[in-house]
Amino acid sequence: MPELMNHVDFRTALENAIKGKSANKAPFSIAWASGKLSREHLARWAENHYHYVGPFADYLAYVYARMSDRFTEAKDFLLANMYEEEIGGDRHTDLLIRFAEACGTTRERVTDPDNMSATTRGLQSWCYSVAMREDPIVAVAGLVVGLESQVPSIYRRQTPTLRDKYKFTDEEVEFFDLHIVSDEIHGERGYQIVLEHANTVDLQQRCLKICEIGAQMRLLYTTALYWDYVAKDLPIEQLEMTERKVA
Amino acid sequence: MPTVILHRDGQAYRGEIAENTNLVVKAGIRQFPYPNLRYGCGMGKCAKCACRVLTGGEHLPEPNWKEKQRLGPRLEQGYRLLCQLWLSHDIEIEQDKVPLEPLKPEPAQGETR
Repeated sequence: MPELMNHVDFRTALENAIKGKSANKAPFSIAWASGKLSREHLARWAENHYHYVGPFADYLAYVYARMSDRFTEAKDFLLANMYEEEIGGDRHTDLLIRFAEACGTTRERVTDPDNMSATTRGLQSWCYSVAMREDPIVAVAGLVVGLESQVPSIYRRQTPTLRDKYKFTDEEVEFFDLHIVSDEIHGERGYQIVLEHANTVDLQQRCLKICEIGAQMRLLYTTALYWDYVAKDLPIEQLEMTERKVA
Repeated sequence: MPTVILHRDGQAYRGEIAENTNLVVKAGIRQFPYPNLRYGCGMGKCAKCACRVLTGGEHLPEPNWKEKQRLGPRLEQGYRLLCQLWLSHDIEIEQDKVPLEPLKPEPAQGETR
């Protein structure tokens, strides 16, 4: 029978629940980091990514509405997160569209939901489902700790490549730069909220499980991007050789 | 561990940070220099986090494109945007009482809005 963990052990358990399922290991991420994608591949990524991250404030709004009014800090965090996504500076999705346009696609194509894959639709639906149905603390664990907190490590690895290998300008890759800072804050604050409020064995175990599933969902989405758009141009065997060389 | 001294409103706040730390991220997660550092968007746009570097500026990287765009001539007066800096050395900074007004950028090439 699992026991109630202290904050240190619970944090380690959350980190371990995400590790191993990290989207950094997906073939699309490996191809991206090794500079093997074309701008066309990156355009397809942007057209899909928009529909996953575009509604992030909407996901959080459902969680916000259901979060107990006794958890003022947690509610304020969710509100600040929503504000920063949408109107704190440049709207984050506008920066994603700027990158998409630099890849050769258009705002209309990016915002058109018909251009996302079935797997992306599945990830988006899972996010809505978690936001609407799970205990709000468990939802923060899934959406913020399980998904958003992965972003800095992914983009830290991918952003220099966008400049150095793909030759995008600073302005074109601003979407990635800003997420290194903002998601670092959001991910860590998410951890703080989950550590504080998941104060029963049941809640802790549900948070661990949803972190694991969230990381799995992102890995599934990123893996599908490879098979849907890249595999025909860059066979997996070629990519595995690249990975071995990098490792 | 690098030491940071932040001067604001006549007070000095001192703290130690891990290597490669962004002070806006630290304040955002409610650790030193929270609540004494003013910051805003965290994306190099609003300039609310701008500070004048008093000592330790020689260890900082060259200003990036956002700092050049938003601070312009203020860079020569020692101002930097803390949200754009990852610190690994001791530094002493001062934040003005009144936030800087960021310069308006030229529209980026290919920008649609």
